[in-house]
Amino acid sequence: MASGRAALARLIASELRAGGAEIVELRRLPGGAVREHWLVVAEVSGGACAGRHRLVLRSDGRTPLGIGLDLMQEFALLQTIHRAGIPAPEPLLCCGDAAIIGRPFHLTRWVAGEADPERVVAAGPSDALAEQLGRAAAAIHAISPACAELSFLGAPPTDPAMALLAEYRGRLDAIGEKRPVAEWGLRWLARNLPPPAAPVLCHGDFRTGNYLVEDGALAAILDWEFAGWGDPDSDLGWFCSRCWRFSELEREAGGIASRAALYRGYEAEAGRWPDPRRLRFWEVMAALKWLVIALLQRDRFLKQGERSLDLALTGRRAAECEFELLRLTAGEHEKRP
Amino acid sequence: MIDDPPSAADLLALARSAWERDLASLSPEERQREATLIARCLAIGERTLRSAGSAAAIEQSLAEHFAATAPEQRLERLAAAIRAGTYDRPGPAREGILRLLWAITLRKLALSNPAFAAGMDEGRA
Repeated sequence: MASGRAALARLIASELRAGGAEIVELRRLPGGAVREHWLVVAEVSGGACAGRHRLVLRSDGRTPLGIGLDLMQEFALLQTIHRAGIPAPEPLLCCGDAAIIGRPFHLTRWVAGEADPERVVAAGPSDALAEQLGRAAAAIHAISPACAELSFLGAPPTDPAMALLAEYRGRLDAIGEKRPVAEWGLRWLARNLPPPAAPVLCHGDFRTGNYLVEDGALAAILDWEFAGWGDPDSDLGWFCSRCWRFSELEREAGGIASRAALYRGYEAEAGRWPDPRRLRFWEVMAALKWLVIALLQRDRFLKQGERSLDLALTGRRAAECEFELLRLTAGEHEKRP
Repeated sequence: MIDDPPSAADLLALARSAWERDLASLSPEERQREATLIARCLAIGERTLRSAGSAAAIEQSLAEHFAATAPEQRLERLAAAIRAGTYDRPGPAREGILRLLWAITLRKLALSNPAFAAGMDEGRA
């Protein structure tokens, strides 16, 4: 990254129609299991944008996860999201030229706030924050496949739940490990499919840890690489699933509030109160999805040779997902011994 | 006993204790998370070594359900039977398999994150 500093500065100057730019700070940011984030502080001279600019550079990690949008698609999506007034980082430029920093990347404006999930949860319960998140989710879900700018997301599935189930079954088969509890979860989902919902834009990783909080309020929703057409309840189920409550299991909406607070915000914007039966289905799907991701992350260590403690230990979280699959799907008389 | 004491599990426990008590706090702030993950790896290693033989009951149960299948293929056979819907209907067969699935899962959690099954969480990896 250091070797690309001058080229990056020139690119920023060009984008901002400035006389010149100098990178005065370049620092890797924590978090980002799939992609890397860097803080870029540029001192821009000349032109209407002269001054100090705090930016975030986002690039792929060393080994790919193999799912989700590429950086160019994510950038295009952010442009649409930002124009729609949904709180998200403002996209500045996208660069597919690997000659600048050694790999493709995009730049967004820095948004102040706390994203660390342990700290967000430790700040205490907040119905107001959950309501804002509910409203934001509903605003995302208001974008339909009719949006021509997002044609790169492909054709929406006729039955989003069935399509996801087939995808995860295929991914587990491709991973090549026989996991009876995962099969138990797949079987339950196949036998409890809800009636198909009209597909809408879903964030795909809507959870505590993927938004910024500033002064107790929602500042921006981050990490859009898993966005796509889907069932709107999938985002809410993911948000409420136990794996994203961190140390506050009783606060069922992302470890920050009650479900009711999240749903209230959602209803205020979307005009409907989420159906608990559908949410239960999507929470089981969330456990399966996290299981698939944990195994894919682990395989970046096991099969692609990325020597990362994070990736290796993520594989050990698979059992937590399987615990959730059993807990959520077992009948009353079949509970844990 | 051929190997000299202290045992591998005791050595890992000692290393983790020294790491957590004396060394992790010396790591710079941006590497604190990594320091936590190192302690977690040492803990998993220690628990795994101490658990030797504790999977015997699970293996016995698998053997009872799939006596005609080679031991290394029993999990695969179980997975295939679940996918085929063999245990969809309520009854003793389903209850027996669920007990086995719980046992497999709780055994894995006992090694990787024992606090999770107790309703807590060691934190994200």
